[in-house]
Amino acid sequence: MSFRVRLASFLVVTLALLQIATALLVYGVTRRELVQQGEQQLVLASRAFARQLDDVSLRVADNVQVLTLDFALRSAIAQRDRNTVVSALRNHGRRVGATRMLLVGLDGTIEADSAESGAPLAKFPFPDLAESALEHPSAAVVAWDGRAYWIVVVPVTAPALIGLIAAAIPVDDPFLARLQEESTLPNAIELAAQTAPGKWEVLAHGNGTIALTPSVTSRSEGLPSKPVSLAVNGREYVALATRLESSDASAPIVAVLGYSIDDALRPYRSVASAWGVLLALGLVFGLVAALIIARGVSRPIEALAATARRIAAGDYSAPAPIAQRDEVGELALTLAHMARAIGEREERIRFQAGHDAITGLPNRVAAEAAIERELAQRDGAHGALLLITLARLPEITKTVGHGISDRVMRDAAARLRQAGGAALLARATDTEFLLWLPHVQEADAIALAFRALDALDEPYSEAEFRIDAAPAVGVALCPQHGTQFSPLLQRAEVALFAALNAEEPVLVYDPASDPHRPERLALMTDLRDAIERDELALHYQPKLHLPNGRIDGAEGLARWVHPRQGAIPPDRFIPLAEETGNMRRLTRWVLAAGIARARAWQRGGRHLRLALNLSVRDLEDAELPQRVGELLTAHGVAPDRLLLEITESAVMHKPEAAIRVLRRLADQGIELALDDFGVGQSSFAYLRRLPVRELKIDKSFLLKLAEGAEDRTIVRSIVELGHRLGYSVTAEGVSDQATLDYLTQIGCDHAQGFFIARPMTAEALDAFLAAAEPATP
Amino acid sequence: MQVGSLGIGAAVLATVAVVAAWPAALRAADLDVFVGAARDAAVPDAVIALRPHDASLSPPAAAPATKTIDQKNETFLPYVEVFRPGDSVVFRNSDQTRHHVYSFAPARQFEFVLTPGQSSAPLHLESTGAIAVGCNIHDHMITYLYVSDAPWTARSGADGHARVATLPPGDYDVSVWHPQLRPGQAPPTQTLHVDAANAAATLRFALALLPDLRRGPDRERVDY
Repeated sequence: MSFRVRLASFLVVTLALLQIATALLVYGVTRRELVQQGEQQLVLASRAFARQLDDVSLRVADNVQVLTLDFALRSAIAQRDRNTVVSALRNHGRRVGATRMLLVGLDGTIEADSAESGAPLAKFPFPDLAESALEHPSAAVVAWDGRAYWIVVVPVTAPALIGLIAAAIPVDDPFLARLQEESTLPNAIELAAQTAPGKWEVLAHGNGTIALTPSVTSRSEGLPSKPVSLAVNGREYVALATRLESSDASAPIVAVLGYSIDDALRPYRSVASAWGVLLALGLVFGLVAALIIARGVSRPIEALAATARRIAAGDYSAPAPIAQRDEVGELALTLAHMARAIGEREERIRFQAGHDAITGLPNRVAAEAAIERELAQRDGAHGALLLITLARLPEITKTVGHGISDRVMRDAAARLRQAGGAALLARATDTEFLLWLPHVQEADAIALAFRALDALDEPYSEAEFRIDAAPAVGVALCPQHGTQFSPLLQRAEVALFAALNAEEPVLVYDPASDPHRPERLALMTDLRDAIERDELALHYQPKLHLPNGRIDGAEGLARWVHPRQGAIPPDRFIPLAEETGNMRRLTRWVLAAGIARARAWQRGGRHLRLALNLSVRDLEDAELPQRVGELLTAHGVAPDRLLLEITESAVMHKPEAAIRVLRRLADQGIELALDDFGVGQSSFAYLRRLPVRELKIDKSFLLKLAEGAEDRTIVRSIVELGHRLGYSVTAEGVSDQATLDYLTQIGCDHAQGFFIARPMTAEALDAFLAAAEPATP
Repeated sequence: MQVGSLGIGAAVLATVAVVAAWPAALRAADLDVFVGAARDAAVPDAVIALRPHDASLSPPAAAPATKTIDQKNETFLPYVEVFRPGDSVVFRNSDQTRHHVYSFAPARQFEFVLTPGQSSAPLHLESTGAIAVGCNIHDHMITYLYVSDAPWTARSGADGHARVATLPPGDYDVSVWHPQLRPGQAPPTQTLHVDAANAAATLRFALALLPDLRRGPDRERVDY
């Protein structure tokens, strides 16, 4: 139900209820008033009725009295002239309206009777009336022969009391009617006589048509001497019964007076119907007015509701102004303010959601959305995604704080915006900008990349700082490198990393050099499977002990023959294992396989020290020393039979952790060697902290040893220095006799290389050693 | 003591004179009768009649007398007059109007008109009884001629007292009559014993009286 309808209904119902309540109240009050009035009237009427009867009595008595003074009558009575008396009585009876006149002797005997028919009466039937008539005229309403009579008895004097004249005047319907007409008596008057206990007979009624007596006399409470309400034939009356003084010889007589409430209410009927019409008109008027008022109230509210819906739907345009200076108008104004505020705030939030707070450029998500949208619109068209980084930004941040790095980025953004022209510029990550060039081929993309670099070339300067952010650009081309944003971004990033690594300013993505190619992931899975299925093989390259010319050790090298791709070189799958977190697994396999082999050698009586390589990842593994120890114990191999090789760079990655791991290995008696020595950045001071017993000179020094005097000097210096510092020195990559001779000559401890022996299987090594055995007694 | 008529008054006076002369020898008593109505209201104009059980006690009959009933201010005066059989009555009209004097009484019936200043011829009253006399012109005029053969009669005065002097000792029937007594009924009677030792005797009568017809019927009151 709408507000309007409810408001209108409320008003109309209120109006109707009010009217009805008023009507009921007025009706009730009027009715009560009428009933009270009726009761009062009845009481008054009963008194009036009695008074009227008194008056009639007096009049009739007077009349009869006057008759009795007629000398002729008196003389006729006195002289007992009965015939004269009877005729005179008849004559006088007609004068006073009596239907029967009696001459009653002082002893109560009937001396003359005007009645022409019927049985003659001997005694006057109402002796009490006759008795009191001796003193003064008496009168009473009596029931006599089933009718009501007004009996008036007056004394006759001549001049002394000589008799009584009784006049019987019928109290009949016309009599009552006359009384009613002459006065304000109610229209219902009945005279009733009690014919038997509880049984009343109506003797006369006026011009009323309703028989009240049965209802009044049948009441269990008895005759109502006070006004009572009762219903007769469905009509309501207030009624009262007045006991009339009668002769003791007569049946009791009551006058029943009724007051018709309905009749009294009749004049109000027209008022009531007029009221009804007024009520109906009022309701119609009220309904119309209520609807108009309600519309006046609800229309602006409905408009406001529509506005609120629009706001909910995201339309913040100002709502139609409501020219009302009330609460609704105020609400409309507030709503308009709110819509504007929400619009602004949403604008800001949306901007923040899609933009970088520092540079004000769109962020990656926003750029992605925009670029995806564009790519979707122009299917397969050309484009280039440039990823520009300020490589030194992290360093700048760490050095001088975020404030400056933010300003550097803001400055770079401004410069790039200028250089990029209409191209979409966005901030991809903390250190990277993204530039989307639609409709361009590779050449244009590269040209623009260099333009961008030129723009960034001038170092950022602020106060005493001059900051060269070392920018680089990676480029991915659409559709060659992808037709969607995500792969394009990924490839641009690969290119960017490649560029950073290669110290090239600009590089276009090269699928071949991408270390993150999908096929690498497949290879990874294969490697893990291979480790689990023991498909890898450990090959051993013998190490020659130069002083005595004997093979006293071998370096274990992992070999993987892929079921489909064939042999995969270690420099391919070992970095893969390192990058994908499989290195420890690989190392565990290598250690297990190697130490098992070392036990076989130990049992076969071969004094070979097994050298195995540890990766940088292994040095981060705090559990490695324990595991190695357990393996050695399990296989019963002496710790000094194992030599673990680590590269300089591996140690340098996380020196403290690496040194802890190495110490624990060394503490178990395991030999440690520093691999690829000579090309790293470690200092001797640093070297001193490592528990290393052996240095392995990088093979790059040995490959051209025969021709290069410099390399010879370096090698000899390392050997001499190593010896002086207590290290044993191994040279690897020995590929010819001259090199071997030179190494022998300068006192190098071990040599390793193709010239001595290639890496070989364990069985081949056995055979190789067996072949070499006789030669060296 | 109010004396109703000159004749009786003279006789009584004579008797009193006799008693005064021989009080001891006669040993007579005086009777005082009080006639009252409701609440002891004094009833005037009641006639007391005494009849001795012993007829010999009766005094000798007085000579017939003529009494006048005057009509003055439309009133018969007196209201009640006592007669002895053989007495006469004369009606005199002292008013300026006519009076139509009549009686339907069985004891004496008459009817005549008296012009102002006229007196009627004496009417001889032979029968005992109360004769109600009215005026046909003036209904409120009424007088009673009470004809009684009782040896002693007395009429109560305004104070309700009727007195009879020098009654010889003996037994008496004392009856009372009044115009407003209910007609047709025996008059109230009491016996009286006059003792020689007592010089005075009293009697009381309480009467139930009808309205005084002189005042006419009560026009404001009709009894239901």
